Amino acid sequence: MNRLRHKNTFLVIALLAAGTVAFTWLTRQQKIDYNSNVKPILNKNCITCHGGVRRKAGFSLLFRSEAMANTESGKPAIIPGDPDHSEMIRRLTLKDPEERMPYRHEALSSHDISILRNWIKQGAPWGDHWAYTAVQPEPVPPLKQLTGFFSTGNGLVVRNEIDNFILDKLRDHDLRPSPEAGKAALLRRVSFDLIGMPAPGWLQHPFINDSSNTAYERLVDSLFASPHYGEKWAAMWLDLARYADTKGYERDDARTIWRYRDWLIKAFNENKPYNQFLTEQLAGDLLPNPTEDQLIATAFHRNTMTNDEGGTDNEEFRTAAVLDRVNTTWEALMGTTFACVQCHSHPYDPFTHEEYYKFMAFFNNTRDEDSYADYPLLRSFSDSAKMEKKLLTEWLTVHATPERTKEIDQFLADWQPSVNSLACDQFINSELSDTKWAAFRNNGLCRLKNTDLSGASEIIYRYRTNENGGVLQFHADSPDGPVLATLPIDPVKEGWGISRGTMVPLQGRHNLFLTYRNAKLKKQDDTGVTFDWFYFTRPFPGEGQPGYAAAAKRYWDLLTMKTPVTPIMVENPANMQRLSHVFERGNWLVKGEVVTPGTPHALNPMPPGAPRNRLGLAQWMTSTQNPLTARTFVNRVWEQLFGTGLVETVEDFGTQGIPPTPRELLNYLSWQFMHTDNWDIKKLLKKIVLSATYRQDSRASDELLKKDDANKFYARGPRVRLSAEALRDQALCITGMLSEKMYGPSVMPEQPEGIWRSPYDGARWVTSRGPDKYRRALYTYWKRTAPYPAMMTFDGVAREVCTPRRIRTNTPLQALAGLNDEANLDMARQMAERLVAAMPGDANDQIKLVYERATGHVVPAAAMHTLLKLYERAQRQFSASDAAACQLSGSVRDRKTMAEIASLVVVINTVLNLDEVVTKE
Amino acid sequence: MMKKDIHNSRLVREAANAYLQAQTRRHFIKESAMGLGALALGALVGCGSRSSQNPVVFDAAHPLEPKMPMFPGKAKSVIYLHMAGAPSQLELFDYKPELMKLDGQDCPQSLLAGKRFAFIRGVPKMLGPQANFRQRGESGLWISDRLPHLANIADEITLLKAVTTDQFNHAPAQLLMHTGSPRLGRPSMGSWVTYGLGTQNQNLPGFVVLTSGGKNPDAGKSVWGSGFLPSVYQGVQCRSEGDPVLFINDPAGMDRDLRKASIDAINDVNQQAYEDYKDPEILSRIAQYEMAYKMQVSVPEVMDISDEPQYIHDMYGSKPGNGSFANNILLARKLVEKGVRFVQLFDWGWDSHGTSAGDAVDIGLVNKCRQVDKSITALILDLRQRGLLEETLVVWGGEFGRTPMQENRGGKTMPFKGRDHHTEAFTMWMAGGGIKKGYSYGETDEIGYSAVSGKTTPFDIQATILNQLGFNHEQFTYQYQGRPFRLTDVAGTVISDIIA
Repeated sequence: MNRLRHKNTFLVIALLAAGTVAFTWLTRQQKIDYNSNVKPILNKNCITCHGGVRRKAGFSLLFRSEAMANTESGKPAIIPGDPDHSEMIRRLTLKDPEERMPYRHEALSSHDISILRNWIKQGAPWGDHWAYTAVQPEPVPPLKQLTGFFSTGNGLVVRNEIDNFILDKLRDHDLRPSPEAGKAALLRRVSFDLIGMPAPGWLQHPFINDSSNTAYERLVDSLFASPHYGEKWAAMWLDLARYADTKGYERDDARTIWRYRDWLIKAFNENKPYNQFLTEQLAGDLLPNPTEDQLIATAFHRNTMTNDEGGTDNEEFRTAAVLDRVNTTWEALMGTTFACVQCHSHPYDPFTHEEYYKFMAFFNNTRDEDSYADYPLLRSFSDSAKMEKKLLTEWLTVHATPERTKEIDQFLADWQPSVNSLACDQFINSELSDTKWAAFRNNGLCRLKNTDLSGASEIIYRYRTNENGGVLQFHADSPDGPVLATLPIDPVKEGWGISRGTMVPLQGRHNLFLTYRNAKLKKQDDTGVTFDWFYFTRPFPGEGQPGYAAAAKRYWDLLTMKTPVTPIMVENPANMQRLSHVFERGNWLVKGEVVTPGTPHALNPMPPGAPRNRLGLAQWMTSTQNPLTARTFVNRVWEQLFGTGLVETVEDFGTQGIPPTPRELLNYLSWQFMHTDNWDIKKLLKKIVLSATYRQDSRASDELLKKDDANKFYARGPRVRLSAEALRDQALCITGMLSEKMYGPSVMPEQPEGIWRSPYDGARWVTSRGPDKYRRALYTYWKRTAPYPAMMTFDGVAREVCTPRRIRTNTPLQALAGLNDEANLDMARQMAERLVAAMPGDANDQIKLVYERATGHVVPAAAMHTLLKLYERAQRQFSASDAAACQLSGSVRDRKTMAEIASLVVVINTVLNLDEVVTKE
Repeated sequence: MMKKDIHNSRLVREAANAYLQAQTRRHFIKESAMGLGALALGALVGCGSRSSQNPVVFDAAHPLEPKMPMFPGKAKSVIYLHMAGAPSQLELFDYKPELMKLDGQDCPQSLLAGKRFAFIRGVPKMLGPQANFRQRGESGLWISDRLPHLANIADEITLLKAVTTDQFNHAPAQLLMHTGSPRLGRPSMGSWVTYGLGTQNQNLPGFVVLTSGGKNPDAGKSVWGSGFLPSVYQGVQCRSEGDPVLFINDPAGMDRDLRKASIDAINDVNQQAYEDYKDPEILSRIAQYEMAYKMQVSVPEVMDISDEPQYIHDMYGSKPGNGSFANNILLARKLVEKGVRFVQLFDWGWDSHGTSAGDAVDIGLVNKCRQVDKSITALILDLRQRGLLEETLVVWGGEFGRTPMQENRGGKTMPFKGRDHHTEAFTMWMAGGGIKKGYSYGETDEIGYSAVSGKTTPFDIQATILNQLGFNHEQFTYQYQGRPFRLTDVAGTVISDIIA
C-alpha cells in the first residue's frame, strides 16, 4: 500500500511538472508541429470515428484535404486561421454531452484544446508522418557540445558518427555511456551478431592476445569473411520469408524449397547489395535473361502456403497466397502493417482500400494456382543435362527463330506457360480429383474454358494412368464441336508421364471440351486417366534441317527428364493475364472495380520508366526516394544486434508504431546505407559494431536501471537471451559437435518421439545420421504444423505467415528444454567422453575448460566452487551407482570412467543452462 | 443464488488480489523509473476505474502472472472437447423423423443448387438417421441411443442445435472454431484466455492440450498455437506416451536430488551474475528454473491417474497407462481441479464418410461414441459432485456437421453409409460454467439440412465462452499489424439465451 501511495505522490508531482512545461511552452506561442503535437491528440481522441473506416458526419482527419473539406453540414469543420469559427473547436468545448465531442467520451483537456486552437490559428498546417517522407541527409551532432557535459566522465569514446547521435541523446537524459566491454565479452557478442555462434578458436586467440588498436576491427573483418556469416543472416531472413519445408495446411506435405535458403546464405556471404538482394527475390524472373540463382531467389514469395485438402477451392487459396505476398512485402520489407487495408481504408495511416488492391495487382499475375505440385517449378538440371541443354540452344540459335528458342528454353526450364488441369470445369463422368487434377471415366467430359490457342498445332500434356485403350479428344467450342485433336492415351509405367499429339490450329480464344473414351475400362466407376497440365504449342522447329533428329530427341529427353525442383515465380504471359479487382470489404468473392498495378500515393511515385510489374515494384521499393525500405532494413539490423529496434515495432513504422529513438540516427544510417554505401550490408553492420555505442559493457547500475531500464538510450551495451537458433548452434560449438557442412536438404536432428502425428500421410521424423545430426539450426527440417519443439520453446515461430519480430519470453518450459532436451544431453555426453579421455582424473581442468569454452572467459572462483561442488556430489552418487552412471554417460565402461563421464555430463548440462551462456552480454 | 454470489465474489477477490500484486510488484518500479510516459498514465487509469477498457497488458518479464478478467465471470476454467473430424449431429442429437421417410430417395435439386460439398458429386441419395432417438430426462432433450450415458444427464446440458460455419474442410473449419479465422496465424482460444487470465497454478501450464485417437487434428498444432500472441501463451501439449510434457523428465541416471543440485548450481551462479550485471531478467530466469523444478513434480503427479480410486476409473472407463480419450478426460478434471484455466481435448476419428467400416455412420461412429460417451458423462457427474461444475464450462462439438444426404464420393455409390461435410447445421453442447441446464437452443429444418432458428456461429460460441470467463469479446484485444485484433474478429454475439 505504501508503495501505491508513493506512486500517486510521484504522479501528482509529475503532472504538476508536465503542466508547468506545457504552460511555459504555450505562452511562448511556439510554432505547433502537426506530427508531434497535433496528430497524437487526433489519433487518440478523434480518428476512430473520423478516420479511414468511419467518417462520422462526413468528417475525416486522415488527410488534410479531407479535414478541410465540407462535412455533411455543408461547412468545413476546420477553417485554417480561424479557430473561433471552426466547428471542430466549438464542438470540443460545448457543455451539452450530446453535442460535445468526443461523443460520449471524456472531454479533451484544456491543454489539448489550446494546442488544437493554436494549430488552427497557425493555419492548420499538415505534416507528413516521418516514416512516409524520403530520407534526408542528417547532420551529425557536433561533439563540442558534449565536452563540457562529459568533461569529468570517463569512458567517453567516440569511434564513429553513431556515437555522436547516441551521446547527444544521453546528454539530454543526463546519462553517461558505459565503458567498453571486456575483450572476452565483446568477442562473444560480436561473434553471435555476425556469425550467429561463438567464433572458432583460431579467431578467438589472436584477438584476445592482440593488444593493438586494430585487433577488434581485424576480428570483425574475419567474421565477415566466415561462411557462417551468411548462415546467421539467412536464418534471420527465414522468419520474414516464412520459409518452411512443408506446404502448411492440413496434410502439410513436404515442399522442396531449400535451394532458396541456400540462395540466401550465398547472397549474404557474397554481400549482395540490399537493393539487388530485394530485386532478385521480388522479381528475379523479370530481369533480363535471369540466371538460375535469380529465379531461385523468387522462391521468397513462393513460401506462401498451399492447401492440398480435398474439396478446397484452389482460387481461394491462390488468392490467400497473393494477399500474403502483399502483406509480407509491406511488413517485412517496408515496416508497414498493410493487412488492415485489405478490408477498408487504413484507420490511421494514409493508405486507401483501393491502393491495397492496386498494390495486389503487382502480384496477381503469376502462374501459381495452388496446385499440388506447387507449379511453377524451376527444374534444376545436372551438369551433364546442362551441357545437353547448351548444345540444344546452340542448335536452335541457328535453326529456329529467337522467339521460338526462348519459348523452348522457358518450357524446358519450368514447363511453363502450361495450363493446369485444375482449371477445368463442367465435369460429366469426370471430376476434379482431390480438387487438384482433371480425371476422366469412360465417356467423360469437361471444359477448359477461354483458352488462347494462338494457332497451336501440338499439345504436350502430363498425365497418369495404368489403363490401355483410352482416347482423349479436344473439341472446339461445344462438346460436339469440331475435333481439334485425338490423342491415344498410353499407360505410364510409373507415376506421371509426358506425351504429345498434333492439333488442328485455331486462332484466338476458345472453350475447349475434352472427352475421354475407353471401352476397355471394366467398371462404370473406374478412372481412366488423370491429367496434370496441358501445353499448347507448335512442333519442335527446324524439321529437315541438319541435326534435326538429334536436337528433337535432346529436347524431348530434357523435357521429360526427372529433375530436382524449386517453386519459383513466373509471370503470366500476355494471353493468360488475370484482371485484378478491389475486394469489397476484403471478401475475395465480392469483386469490385477493376484495378491496375500501382503504389500508394502517400509514398514516392514509381520511378520514371519503371514497368508496371513486379520488377517496377522492386525498382520503386529500392529507389532512394522510397522512405521505408532502407529504414526498415537498417532498423532490423539494429534490432538483431541490440535486441530492440530503433523503432521497437519493426513491423510498424506507421503512426501507431512506436516512434524511433533516436530518429536522427535511423535517418542518418539509412541515408548512408543508400547514398554513401550503395546498400552494402556488411558496411552497415561494420559501422554499427565498430561504434563505441555497440562496444559498451552491458552491466547496469541501479542508477541506469532507474533512468532507463529498457536501455532505450543506449547508455550500456545490449544484453539479451540468445535466439532459438543461436542456442542450438552454440551448444554444438561448445561441445565440439558442430558439423560445418553447408547447404542442401534440411536435416532432422534429435527430436522427442511423437511430435508429428500428421493426419493421412504418415510422414515421419527420421533422425539424421552422422554429421547431419549436428548441423546448424537453420538446416533443421521445418514442418509448419509441427515445428521443431525445442526451437518453438525458445520463441521460434511456426512460419505460417511472415513474422517480422519475435517476442522474447522467459518461461519454465525453456528451463526444462535447456535441462532435458535429449539433443543437448547427447552433445554433452560426447564432449564429456572426449574430455575425460584427454585429461583423465582432472576434474578441475575439465570444468575450467567447459566453462571457458561456454563463456569465452576464465571461470571466476565463486562459480568454480559451485560447479566443483556439484561435480563432486555427482561423482559420489555415480561411484555408488553403476546403473545411473551408465545411463547418464550413455555407455558401459569401467566404473571410474563411467562415473567421471556422468559427473561431467551433469556439469556440462549445468553450464549450458547458465544465464551467462544463454545470454549475449 | 446465494451460493453463486459467494462463488462470484470469491472469484473477483481472487483475481483482484492477483492483479494488485502484479501491479505493486512490478509496474510501480517500471513506470516510475520511466517517468511520466503516456503508457504510465494509461495503465493507472486502467486500474480499476475503467477495467472494461481492456486492462490486459503483456508483461514480458511475467507473462503468466494471474490477471483479473474484465468482469466477474461465472466460469473459472474451460474444458473443450473437440471431436476432430466432425461427428454426425443426425445420429446423435438432431432427431429428424422426416429424413427417415426420405431415406434412399434422390436428393432434391433445391438442396444442391449452388452448393459445394467436399466429396458429394452429382445427385446423392438422402440418408435417414442411423440411430434411435428418445426424449430424455425432465427436459425432454432428444438424444440418440448412441450416447446412452449422456442421455442420463440430459438435464445438465444445453444443446446448440443450429450451429453453422462457412468452412467445409477440416483444417480451416477447426482453425475457425479455435482461432476465429480459417487461415493459419491467429491465436487459439486457449491462448487468448491464458493471455487474459494468466495462470492460477504456477506449477502447471495455464493452457493444456490432450489428444487421443492416434493423430493430431487436421490443422495441426495451430489449433492450440499462440498466433501473433507471445509464444508463452501457446497450449502445452500433455502427452500420454513419452514425457507427459516435452522435456519434463530428467535424463535417465539423473535423480531428483541431483537435478535439484544442478538447478541450485545454475541459480547460484546466476545469482552471482546478477550481482555483477544487475539485469532483472536474470532474477526472472532464476525463478523460471525454480518453477521448472516444481513442474517436474507437479506435472507428472497430475498426469498420473493411477492414484485415482478404482470407482473413479470405473466411472470414466479410464485405465492408467494407455492414451485413451477416457484417460484424457479424467486428466482434464484433475488439471482443472489444480487451477488450469483451459484444457482442450482433441479426439481424432469422427470423419464418417462411409469409405470404410471404420468411418461408417452405423459402424465406426458407433465405436467412437462408445469410446467417449461414458467418460464425458463421468466428467460432468464428477465435476458436479466436487462442486466444480458451476465454475467449469464444458464444451463439446466438432468443426462442422454432416449432410442429410449419403455421401457418393466422386458420384459413385459407396460401400458403407457415410455423410459428407456440412456447414449449414450441426450440434454442439455446453454444460456447467453458468450455462442453462437441460435446455435446447436452435432448430433445423425437418431434414436437418439448414438452421431455421437460433442460428449460431463459431464466433458466437467463442464470444459466449469468453463471456462466461469474464471477458467482453469485443473489447478483449491485442494490438497487432496496426490494429487491435480479437478472437472473434469482427463478428460474434454472446448467446445470452443459454446463460443461466
